[in-house]
Amino acid sequence: MKVNKGPVVRTKHGTYKLALPKEHCEVLMHLISELRDSLLNTTDDASLRRLFPTAYHNDAKKDAEYQRLMRDELLASRLSSIETALNVIGTNNEHSESEIDAFARSINSLRLVIGTTMDIAESDSSQSSDSSADDSNILDSKQTELAEQQLVQRELYDYLGWLLEWTVGAQSQGL
Amino acid sequence: MARASVQPSQVIEPDVDDATKSDKPWIVIVWNDPINLMSYVTFVFQKLFGYSLEKATELMLDVHHKGRAVVSNGSRERAEFDVYRLHEHGLWATMEHETS
Repeated sequence: MKVNKGPVVRTKHGTYKLALPKEHCEVLMHLISELRDSLLNTTDDASLRRLFPTAYHNDAKKDAEYQRLMRDELLASRLSSIETALNVIGTNNEHSESEIDAFARSINSLRLVIGTTMDIAESDSSQSSDSSADDSNILDSKQTELAEQQLVQRELYDYLGWLLEWTVGAQSQGL
Repeated sequence: MARASVQPSQVIEPDVDDATKSDKPWIVIVWNDPINLMSYVTFVFQKLFGYSLEKATELMLDVHHKGRAVVSNGSRERAEFDVYRLHEHGLWATMEHETS
């Protein structure tokens, strides 16, 4: 019986292989590069807020001090992970535990940003991407364009979830 | 010889609440969010804190169903370190003094 392998596989040597179609790699590299550019430009954008959460939820003064000390470090960590992720996606090599971890964190960051932009709520988690624009025939052209954008975002969001699920599955074999 | 004058000065009493609080350990809380995958959250708990799959799953389900779970505790420095690592992984984590 043929066993279907996912897009991320852990080898018997403890390294990882990424097996994604070229077009998927290109889309991922484009999106992750865009995220890097956004982070380099500003960390105050509303869509990026989930990447820089509060640390002291009931003490604004302590949180301001924490953010003053740690925000730049967190930004540097994210940018470093993104560079590693771009390298993982762009090469056919086997990848180390830390490299695949940076890849997973970057995919999750991307998913957090897209999910925030889409204003994902708990009730959305089981919604499939094919149910979003069924009423497009009664929408005007602007609404149709918006609905199409939302559909693309939803498909990307679901795709990143699928990819992250496989990555975590492969990583879990190494625990 | 002039006598040294002693000026009355204001004495600031320590805030008993603060003093008591400083003795208490800090707890690190992970909050529910609708975006992070349940499998990812479980994996992060295992990886960062060395929890078994059962313990990590239990904590993840607490986050999912109760809205939050305490995932670690200790000194303020330790809690800040754990919060930072959870933030690196995209989880919504905060810290506060243990209340009981």
